[in-house]
Amino acid sequence: MSLLAAIRKLWHAIVPRTHSDVEEEFRSTLEAYQEDLIRQGVPEEEARRKARIALGQPAAQFETYRDAIGLRLFDELSGDIRYGLRALRRNPGFAAVAVLSLALGIGATTAMFSLIYAVLLHPFPYAGANRIMNPVFIDEQHPDEPLYFPLSKSQFDDLRLAAPVDSPLGFDNAHLEITGGALPEGIWGIYLTENAGTFFGVRPLLGRNLEPTDAENGGHSVVVLNYRFWQRHFGGDRHIIGRMLEIDHAPYTIIGVMPRSFAFGVQGVGDVYLPASLMRGLANVPYLAYIPWIKLRPHVTLAAANAALEPIVRQFAKEHPERFPDHWHLALQPIIVPFQQNTGRTLTLLLAGVVLLLIIGCANCSILLLARGRTRRHELAIRSAIGASRWRIVRQLLVEAVVIACTGAVLGVAASYWLAKLPLLLSPDSFPAESLIRINAPILAFSVALALLCGILFGLLPALRLSRHDSARMLPGREIGVVAAPPKHRWSVLIAAQVALTLLLMATAGTAIRSFLQLTQIPLGYDPANVMTIGIPLHHAHDPGEWSRIQPREARTAYIEQIREKIAFVPGVSTVAVGDTDATPPYSGVEKYFNVDGTGDREQPQARVMLVDQGYFAALRIHLLQGRLWNTDENTRGDFIAVVNHAFATRYLSSSNALGRQLRIPGLTSRNRYQVASAHSAAWRQIIGVVGDARNDGVDRPIVPAIYLPYTTVMSPFVEFLVRTQGDPLTSLRSIRAAIASVASDQQISNADTFTLSEAVERDAQYSRQRLFSILFGVFSAMALALALVGIFSLVSYSVAQRTAEFGVRLALGAPSVHVLWVATRIALVSAGAGIVMGLAMDSFFGAILAHWMQSAFAARSLFAAAVLLALSALLSCLLPARHAITVSPAEALRYE
Amino acid sequence: MTKPVELPQGTLEMLILKAVSLGPLHGYGILLRIQQISGERLEILQGSFYTAIYRLEHQGLIKGKWGESENNRRARFYSLTAAGTRQLKAETAKWTDMAAVVAGILAKKADEI
Repeated sequence: MSLLAAIRKLWHAIVPRTHSDVEEEFRSTLEAYQEDLIRQGVPEEEARRKARIALGQPAAQFETYRDAIGLRLFDELSGDIRYGLRALRRNPGFAAVAVLSLALGIGATTAMFSLIYAVLLHPFPYAGANRIMNPVFIDEQHPDEPLYFPLSKSQFDDLRLAAPVDSPLGFDNAHLEITGGALPEGIWGIYLTENAGTFFGVRPLLGRNLEPTDAENGGHSVVVLNYRFWQRHFGGDRHIIGRMLEIDHAPYTIIGVMPRSFAFGVQGVGDVYLPASLMRGLANVPYLAYIPWIKLRPHVTLAAANAALEPIVRQFAKEHPERFPDHWHLALQPIIVPFQQNTGRTLTLLLAGVVLLLIIGCANCSILLLARGRTRRHELAIRSAIGASRWRIVRQLLVEAVVIACTGAVLGVAASYWLAKLPLLLSPDSFPAESLIRINAPILAFSVALALLCGILFGLLPALRLSRHDSARMLPGREIGVVAAPPKHRWSVLIAAQVALTLLLMATAGTAIRSFLQLTQIPLGYDPANVMTIGIPLHHAHDPGEWSRIQPREARTAYIEQIREKIAFVPGVSTVAVGDTDATPPYSGVEKYFNVDGTGDREQPQARVMLVDQGYFAALRIHLLQGRLWNTDENTRGDFIAVVNHAFATRYLSSSNALGRQLRIPGLTSRNRYQVASAHSAAWRQIIGVVGDARNDGVDRPIVPAIYLPYTTVMSPFVEFLVRTQGDPLTSLRSIRAAIASVASDQQISNADTFTLSEAVERDAQYSRQRLFSILFGVFSAMALALALVGIFSLVSYSVAQRTAEFGVRLALGAPSVHVLWVATRIALVSAGAGIVMGLAMDSFFGAILAHWMQSAFAARSLFAAAVLLALSALLSCLLPARHAITVSPAEALRYE
Repeated sequence: MTKPVELPQGTLEMLILKAVSLGPLHGYGILLRIQQISGERLEILQGSFYTAIYRLEHQGLIKGKWGESENNRRARFYSLTAAGTRQLKAETAKWTDMAAVVAGILAKKADEI
């Protein structure tokens, strides 16, 4: 059934009889009555007249019918709506300003709500997502940094049997490459335990998800594709199921494609999902390979689950004591928690901002309606004179307001779709990858409710005010405008409130922008401009021949050095350095325990250990403060030497005689057969140099003590090249790829680990949050300012238009034009001034709260600047329309009468 | 001529149902029949009369159908639906009960209490 037919059917159910049907019946009655009268001897002409008087007009009968079946309110409302729309069309300037003021507010509020809905209320597409927990252990010495722990297969099976556990999911990630094509392509693979299909409960877009049978015989060679990977690599081909995909030189059957909303990942969204049983067949996978997620049984409390699982994890700690600190406890974290804390605050603040914007927009509409209402007094007086009740007039005015609000809402919702994506673009890492912004039923309901609320909110005051006039006073003639209009308290209150809220928003924006600028000026200790990091996984693991070629440490070093030299020859490249996985600031290094000579073994402080080559410091422009860097031979050997940063020297050594001291890192050994270590990697090392501090714990966090060692001392099957170029490094990427391919044609590059260091700074949580705040609050406050100015402008111009005659007479009687200007703008200026004072008071009250939430200081200077800017623009928007008051020619003004 | 009677609120509907229960009638016919049965003592305002008919039809108590009147004119004939029959029965019982109680009270004399 088409939509039109459905509407017709519904309409028929509400109004079963048609207009002509009712009218025809009525005519037949009319005629029958008329004939009766004629039969009784009444003359024909007289009979027709009598019948009409007794029964009424046939044309009006349909209205009686609709009244009788209870459609009166409906008819009146639809009349009001039509009238409201006509009024808007007649007055396009007013309509545009009013609708736009609301569209901004409603659009922004809807956008924030849909973001909150997507990110906090409904972020994951998984079945029973609120029961899925991330088990972490909390080191009691560093309680704010939860630690994750991978499990072995048997530990994972123990967890499965625990009482509060409905089902656990085990997963791990791996760099994989698609082979068999012209060039190998690096992808991010996620191994999932084979219960993944039922655990997630997400219906695949095509085919099926992993099933327990996929674990048989050491794991079937099957693969499920991520939506984006499927789009990118297969162009969204729907006939993909059953085809083969060659990964790491082995064929896999494609069994399913996940929907777009599913983007499960570890340190990045997975491109492909594979059965975890295959992991044991893979070369570069450590022994503990199952990162667990736990879905609790329904109605199990977090505390009960923690208590039940703690003994099991204690047992794990006994099996692997080196992975656990001395004092720890288990905590199950709902999977939303990592996003909730900071993102929740960010969104609450932004929501507060847009609500302010909405209130300002509403106030604006109220002012416009009041101002326009003066020109409508006559019309309303006539309506009430011919019998409209006050309630009827209030209702009509409210309906007109709601019409404006709904028109605004339509525009606003359309805009919100785009607006809601803005925070995701500006601060992508603060939000779960799977939060999907879309306009759905709850969001539409929200915006419709919002529109109605706004319409009533801003329409009520003008409606009550305008409906109060008694017709007797209003009708005899138009007001003679030589008498100064009575003071308009309501306008003043609205203007003042608007200005105060605008100031609050502007001050917030000022603070946000200032603290962001401060953040950008924090010395990083290194120079991220024009440096790029390129990640290279060394996994030729599936070809035993190739693997044995780079398995020995010397061969691996030679291979890496060969690539480094080739990259160094690429035109535009000035410096190339080598580092292991964690060498990229502003987060770099791995926390490890160390000992310094002269202190007991019991005392085990921690420092960031960074494995790099001697060129690293030049590439990042980290200055050498004392001593020297290591040379090429020392780099190849890897042992006996170390360089520390300034923070390390001041904290653990007396910085004056740091050189020559000894340190050792007991845990610095090969962990599995894919890592190789130098002969004495965990032995004592002499400190030969101290370098300047470079941010290693985030852009705004204090620099952590760090130890730099030659990367050859412990080598993972992964390296990073840090390349400094003369121009934008990404433009050289193609030639660098070619240089790498010239060493080994099948050497892949990990796209996820290839980015510029400036990008890395921008991705920093605090940096991106501050940038988000400053951009969005900047936009909000600009909008608020525009709205407030439009409000003041329209107030003054309406009142000037109303009082043309008054000003003409004043000028004719010799009033100086400054005085006339003052009379014309007095109310607006005084209320704007009051608003600024109120705003300053509010700022000092809310300032402390805001500063805490934004994690930055609320600056008095930006408040002052905002107040001055606001005052100046308010003055301007008063004077522009008031100009007309002094250009009135008295003769013309009096002609109005 | 006897004095005309004014109808209490809500009774017009009941009378229409009764008139229609005696056989299908068009609107004007219903009016005539009520007046005829009442011995011309009821004065019915024509305006409110149609409102009552529309409402009854909308509530599904009577059903209209186009047909031909006694003098070959197209007219809409109303007949009672099943729901209408039930309603009429209930209303009649209610009315008689109420009338009896009220009449009983009014008929009481001081010594009978």
